[in-house]
Parts: sequence; structure tokens; C-alpha cells
Amino acid sequence: MRSTERRARNFSDLGVRIVLLTLAAILLMTLQISGNLRPAQNLITQLVAPAQLSATGITSSVTRFFAFLGRIRTLEQEYVALEARAKQLEAEIETLREVEKENEQLRALLNFAQTRPRLELRGAQIVARVIGEESTNFSDTILIDLGAVHGIRVGMPVVTDQGLVGRISEVTENNAKVLLLTDPSSSASALLAESRLNGIVRGSTGNKLIMDFIPQGPTFNLGETVLSSGLGGKFPKGLTIGVIESIESQPNAVFQTAIVRSAVDFGSLELVMVITNFEPSEVLPEFLLQPAGEETTPEAQEISPEATP
Amino acid sequence: MNRGALYYLMIPLLLFLCLLQSTAVARLKIAGVKPDLVLLMVVIGALVYGARPGVLWAFVAGIGMDLFSGGPFGASSLALIASALVAGLGHRPFSRFNIFVPLAAIALGTLAYAGVYLTVLAIFEVIGAPVLWVPIGDAIRDIVLPVTLYNMAIMLLLLPILNRLPESQDL
Repeated sequence: MRSTERRARNFSDLGVRIVLLTLAAILLMTLQISGNLRPAQNLITQLVAPAQLSATGITSSVTRFFAFLGRIRTLEQEYVALEARAKQLEAEIETLREVEKENEQLRALLNFAQTRPRLELRGAQIVARVIGEESTNFSDTILIDLGAVHGIRVGMPVVTDQGLVGRISEVTENNAKVLLLTDPSSSASALLAESRLNGIVRGSTGNKLIMDFIPQGPTFNLGETVLSSGLGGKFPKGLTIGVIESIESQPNAVFQTAIVRSAVDFGSLELVMVITNFEPSEVLPEFLLQPAGEETTPEAQEISPEATP
Repeated sequence: MNRGALYYLMIPLLLFLCLLQSTAVARLKIAGVKPDLVLLMVVIGALVYGARPGVLWAFVAGIGMDLFSGGPFGASSLALIASALVAGLGHRPFSRFNIFVPLAAIALGTLAYAGVYLTVLAIFEVIGAPVLWVPIGDAIRDIVLPVTLYNMAIMLLLLPILNRLPESQDL
């Protein structure tokens, strides 16, 4: 066959392939939107999950081993420092025991309703293992080893003992995807623990947590703890989000903005807890809550309670 | 025709890399971004064997990627097909000890991947079936440019291996 004919044949073959594969990709997207892809996704994730779990386990072991090797030299110094710290903490524990007793008495006396739901949540947490992470750089999700058969539903909050992680965004029979708080699509109504100022914490493309819509005027401090406020009904009240790392305040701006250092180490998530007895009451997807400086549709402002903290 | 072992190993290798991409690669994050090993492999495949098999590998690899992604199913396939087409342009000029072509292919391939992926997300938003919301400007600054550099750095490290592969082959 002559070279020019062969090239022409290859070129037309490439064109046919591109058209067919593009149509197949569009078909997959259409099936996903209509929900018809779920059975196939269930099947594939069930098949892949064990391999993914093993790979995650091996990765964690290897990472821990190298981290340990790197730390051997500093371990002795750390040991001495920890001994001193332990003595200091023992003294603090004694003080805290006294505070706890006092706190219990006050709680019983005042019947402080807002502290009770948190205690009730404790019995409804399911511990899940993280078996995979987002494959692209454009979103922040993790895959956990619990799904619909374990009672997991879309919207359920996910936490660790350190604080708020995110919420369930997609559920198959035995697995679920968690949209992390650091994803640009994520947002949570927040409250500053000491100054009691409200705002919205949202993720960003730079993996930073940004607290937006903080009213201009009142002051707050670096290091102040940021908690979920419970407004909007997306997350329970009182979950730790992080601490204020820096404050960006402009004289003419309507709101103040702050960078929040997350309480959760998103880079080393292994076990998470899903709060199953919390019913999220959300109307709009999170990404409609746009960051300050960008246009927000009036409809979004009206429907979403979180857009107007 | 001797196509070389890589040709026959491409699909299992890509599926394995998809698994790594959602597990081990997350530990290789620098400045919040991780390298795209699957994209790198598709680009290498397209450089060595051309765009014709490259688009098929890109489609399969994209399905694998989307299984572990929060994005729309099929978006990674479309994005990787674009990368394979761009990298396929370097198939003929690709030769041993040529540094420029693989580096240019991965840089342009990464940009093509990001362009198509972000376009698909934007289309989903426009048609009212949004999956994720990504601010385009911030994404280019915080994700696309750092990932392009990261992928180029890895391609640079892979060049000695690439030079051991057979010369570009017409299939």
C-alpha cells in the first residue's frame, strides 16, 4: 500500500475513533445524570474496592515507615520533651476535672439544650475507613468503605475526632464519596467561638479554607476557633472546623475574610465518622453560595439561608 | 510488526495507574497538587504509538479515573482523548534523545486535559445538572499551572526510560 493511501486511511480511522469515543463519553455522562449508571458503578466499585483498600493500606504502611526513619534522630529529643509535657498535662488534668464537675452541675441546672444534641450524636456515628482519594486535581473527595446498605445517605456530615471533614456526596451500595470541606464546591455556615461572629467557611482551589461574609466592624483574633454554626441545616452545630490563621480586612468591603487553618489533617485521613442521625435540610447545591467579590444570583440569596449569614 | 511490550501492557498499566492515582499518588502532593500519572502514561503511549491507539487508551483510562473522582463520569475520558490527540502530534517528530518533544507534549497535554475537563464542568453547570463548581481563574492559577510543571518534571525524570523504548512506530 502506498504511503499516502495508508496515511489517509489512518487519518480517517482516527476520526471515526474520536467520534465514537466522544459519543460514548457523552452517553456515559447522560446515563450518570439520569441515574442509570448507578448499577454499573455499584458493580465496578464493589470489584475495585478490595484492591483499592489494599493499595491504600500498603501506601499508608510505606509512608509510615519512611516517616519513622526520618524521625529516629529526633525521637530522643521528643521523648524528653514529652516527659516534661506529661507532667504539665497531669497538672492540667486535675484542673480540668474540677472544671468538668462544675460544668456538669451547671449543665444540669440550666438544661442547656444546645449542648445535648452533640452528646446524642455520639451514638449515631459510624466509623468508616478511607479507601481512596480523588483521582483528579479538580476536586477534593475521598471514598469510604460504607454505603447505602450501612445506612449512609447523601448529605450526611462526616467528621473525625479533630473536627469537620465534609459530607457524603455520592452513595453506592457499599461505598460512598465524601466531598471534603476543602473542595471549592463545599461550604459550611460557621461561627467564631469567642467573638460569636457568623460567616461561611468555603473550600478553594488552593486547598485553603476561607471564612467569608464575616460582618465588617466587630473585631476577632488570630487563633480563634471556628465552629460550624448549624445555620442552613447542612451540618450540626458546634463541630470544630479550624482556627483563624490570617485576617483579610479591607476598609470599604462589606464583609471581612479570614483564612482558616483546618483542624483536620486532610492529607492523612484514615478513619472518619459519619453522623447518621442528622437530617440535612438543604435546598440548593453548595456551589451556588459564591465567594465574595463574585456575582450571586438573587434567587440563590433568597432560597439559601446560608448566603445571608 | 514488532509493537513492543508496552503496547500490549498499556491498558493493564493504565488501570493500575488509576488505582495508584487514587491512593498512593495523593501522598505526592506538592503545593496542593499531585502529578497525573495516568495522563503521563497516555501521553507517552500517544508519543510512541500515535494518536490512533492513544485515543482508545485515553478513553479506557478516563473511565478508570472517573470511578475514583467526584466529577462527571466520562469527563476524564474526553479530557484524556484531547491530551492523546495533542501528544499524537509529537508522534512523528518523537525520537530518541529528543527532550523538547516529550516535554512539550506533556505540557500541552496537561493544558488540553484541564481545558476540556473544566469545559465539561462548565457545560454541566449551564445545563443545570452541576456536579462540581470550580472557579476557572483560580483553578488555572492554583491547579493547572502547578500540575503542568509537576508533570513536566516527572516527564523529565522519565526521559531516560523513554529513550530506551523503541523508536516511534506507525500502527
